[in-house]
Amino acid sequence: MSDIIGFNTAEVQAIILSLKVAVYCSVISLPIALVLGYKMARYSFYGKPIVEGIIHLPLVMPPVTTGYLLLLLLGSNSAIGQWLYQAFGIKLAFTFPAAVIASVVVSFPLIVRSIRTSMEMVDPGLEDASRILGAGKLKTFFKVTIPLAAPGIISGTILAFARSLGEFGATITFAGNIAGETQTLPLAIYAYMQIPGQEGTTMRLVVVSVVISFIAMAFSEWFIKRRKQA
Amino acid sequence: MIKVNIKVKRDKFDVAIHETFSNGITGIFGHSGSGKTTLLNSICGLVHPDKGEIIIQGKKVYCSKEKINVPVQKRNIGYVFQEGRLFPHMTVEKNLHYGLKKNGANQLGFDEVVEMLNLKHLLQSKPKNISGGERQRTALGRSLLSSPELLLLDEPFSAVDTKLRSQIIPFLLKIHKTTNIPLLVVSHDLPDLLKLSNKLCIVSDGKCIGHNDYYKLLKDKSINGILSNNSFVNSIDMKVSKVKPEEGLTVLSHSNSGNSIKVKCERSRATYQVGQNLKIFINADDIALSTNKLEGITIQNQLEGIITDVIEKDNITLCMVDVGFNLIVEITRESLKRMNIDKGSTVCCLFKSVAIDVAG
Repeated sequence: MSDIIGFNTAEVQAIILSLKVAVYCSVISLPIALVLGYKMARYSFYGKPIVEGIIHLPLVMPPVTTGYLLLLLLGSNSAIGQWLYQAFGIKLAFTFPAAVIASVVVSFPLIVRSIRTSMEMVDPGLEDASRILGAGKLKTFFKVTIPLAAPGIISGTILAFARSLGEFGATITFAGNIAGETQTLPLAIYAYMQIPGQEGTTMRLVVVSVVISFIAMAFSEWFIKRRKQA
Repeated sequence: MIKVNIKVKRDKFDVAIHETFSNGITGIFGHSGSGKTTLLNSICGLVHPDKGEIIIQGKKVYCSKEKINVPVQKRNIGYVFQEGRLFPHMTVEKNLHYGLKKNGANQLGFDEVVEMLNLKHLLQSKPKNISGGERQRTALGRSLLSSPELLLLDEPFSAVDTKLRSQIIPFLLKIHKTTNIPLLVVSHDLPDLLKLSNKLCIVSDGKCIGHNDYYKLLKDKSINGILSNNSFVNSIDMKVSKVKPEEGLTVLSHSNSGNSIKVKCERSRATYQVGQNLKIFINADDIALSTNKLEGITIQNQLEGIITDVIEKDNITLCMVDVGFNLIVEITRESLKRMNIDKGSTVCCLFKSVAIDVAG
């Protein structure tokens, strides 16, 4: 797999890895964000502001700080890191899963926020109506709440996907910049920028990055438009 | 039978209601914010009372002492909300199917409900594309298909234009006649309630201050103030005894008295059949009184009866006339004096056929 439309192996690896991280990130974030977004929208509970603060922290914190905190929390020298290694032989820091974890943490506030807002807009009266008609909480959630909050859920997921594609600081700190393992598009662009004579490669990757982001946004717009027409 | 004995704390006042509702149609009447909706919400389980118990058809669904609180979805209650609350992302058909029980224990089938509520042409439409009345009918159908043991209706008329309101009433009467499900209907519109039932429960400031037949409530001085702000409607069960399309008339008779009322037969009602049961409504102020039967007048309905009571409240004078069934007649105090009539007088109640509204 030397040259595909002018891309070399390392570039293709970076593109595929980026997409893989973004997909994993969206798929993992979505169910957690659905549950959390719903709880935040519908219930008030003890310590809600603290939970909100923790979720939103990565939105305002420098990503490098987030990455460093992740390293402290899950790195080989941390309690959790050591336990994971001793019990299961798993090492997280500077691996592909670390890149996914960094992406999830950084993009999570965006997806939760979007889902929560859209769920707040769903009339709780419709959920009551569903339950009176004999549907349990779970059926009500899947048949009424989720379909009605769908535009927010989709755009939140795409936002998380796009944020994951652009993730740099937390990834490089917690997952490193290992080609084929953790070197996503932004990291590859950064790496090629450092090497004289690689301006062409850098430019190609920048274009790919723009195109992927654009497609994601276009899909989101298309979906929301289709929902409105239905 | 629905037995309710609950206490619910509210900001302004506590809702404390201890009543037993029979299996017919009961109208729950009261001003906005009097606690009517809290009562319905407690019965269906959306509101948890602070104290008390609720028994629906012998089944205890809530009891604070025994810590029983059957969840909303297991109470088997139909609830038609003021705004209908149809699921906007589903077609009418999917809305109707939503609560359909799969064990086949349905009292009414899907096709039957669609037919009864005239929904067939709407099945593929989305709720936003149908009228208020159609939405209300869909909501009714959806509730019916969930095979409820009790049907609650919260202001079912207010989301519908005045003109269309009377259209929903025949459907409700038909539902009750076909399924025999008890109906609790909340409204602040007395004439609409009376068209459904004479049995009223009056709620004020969280308390039930009267639960009886409408005619009996009117005599209760502590309550008639609440009722007298509304126009009065006579609601009478009748049977078709003769159909005379050539004369443009249908003759109805009352089952207890044999008194017959002549009703002008309109085109839409040409399908009346002898023996059919109907409910008719006559506004109290559409009836005139005379001391004897009148000749040479176009008014065909002249029913003789005895005034059993005269109720005076503010500027209104109501005469209860027993013509074989009770009729409330609203007249002015001046007329009462001028004609020299009072309790015990024999009078004739006069009303034009067109003053009669009929629900099938």
